[in-house]
Amino acid sequence: MAECGEISMMLGAFEDSELEPNEMQEVAFHLARCESCTSILADYSTIGRDLRSIAAEPSLAGFSSAVIARIDRLPQPMLTRIKRFLGRQVDSVGAGIAWGGAAVAVAIMTIVMITPYADQFANRGPQSTAIAKAERAAAQAANQAADAAASEPTMADNDSHADISRLESENHSVAVWSEPRRDTTVIWLPDQP
Amino acid sequence: MTLRPGSLTFLIIAITACAAPNLSYAQAVPKVVTVYIDSVMAADTNEGTDPKLAPMGQKLRGLFGFSTYSLVMHNEGQTDCGKMIAFTLPGGKILHVQPRAVDGDMIAMEIVLFDGTRPMMTTDLKLRNNGTLIVGGPRYERGMMIISIGASTGGSHPMQAQVGTPAQANTR
Repeated sequence: MAECGEISMMLGAFEDSELEPNEMQEVAFHLARCESCTSILADYSTIGRDLRSIAAEPSLAGFSSAVIARIDRLPQPMLTRIKRFLGRQVDSVGAGIAWGGAAVAVAIMTIVMITPYADQFANRGPQSTAIAKAERAAAQAANQAADAAASEPTMADNDSHADISRLESENHSVAVWSEPRRDTTVIWLPDQP
Repeated sequence: MTLRPGSLTFLIIAITACAAPNLSYAQAVPKVVTVYIDSVMAADTNEGTDPKLAPMGQKLRGLFGFSTYSLVMHNEGQTDCGKMIAFTLPGGKILHVQPRAVDGDMIAMEIVLFDGTRPMMTTDLKLRNNGTLIVGGPRYERGMMIISIGASTGGSHPMQAQVGTPAQANTR
């Protein structure tokens, strides 16, 4: 049977359940019959409880993130770092790229639609075609009025190779005619005396 | 707002698909216009037609009654729609040509002919692709100046004079 001297050396560890199973059994067997050791164990228990009540437990707030950050700061293989970087970029910058891409696409479509190509679309409409015809008719009427006062005859032909919508000159003897057979329109500007 | 990579890819593909028809249409419309200018002296000096004018000489003989047609200068240059190109012509004439738009087979343009700094004529017209406009009348040397203005959205002009090196043109 173990002596109290040997058992008392193991009471602290027994209180903390740190003994091997056979030692735990031996100490427990001794305590069942020894009031002195039981009293010492009770003192250990009391002291342990008092110490735990006095000691302030450190706060664990932010502990996990601090540990993760510290792990991140540890040297990592280049491939792993690139993968992590790309993953973070996709998560955080993905929305920015999407909005940027959308803005670029809208800008491209806007540029396409406000360039002369848009005019071509617009000019295909029946209303604009009618306006264009009216403008040409007015221009032709003006030309004919001017030609009446001119010394040389003038002829405008809509089926010519050129469709003249405006003709301005200080020369009042301007003559315009077309030669459909030769696919040519002529503007004649004789020198004024 | 956050988007996952799959959503981002879908968004970009969708926008590109919407924009593609407009872009392909824009690329199909020619923007560059080649302008050909032939300055011809026409006179009644019975010297015939300059061989370099073929086949334009035949057209000139059909249009006018002169006995002499001589190519004085040939100019050509390329410019974009909306961009003016200037040609210096014989006799102190300056020609500004500004293609405005290409509408099907027609090229809309503004043409201004200067005598030195004085504008002689300003006209807006639509010229058929590879078509010719002839401006004539000003006196030049022993006869008159005839300016043939051709425009093309493609390669060579069918009526251009047969000359070696094209003269320089100024664009702005």
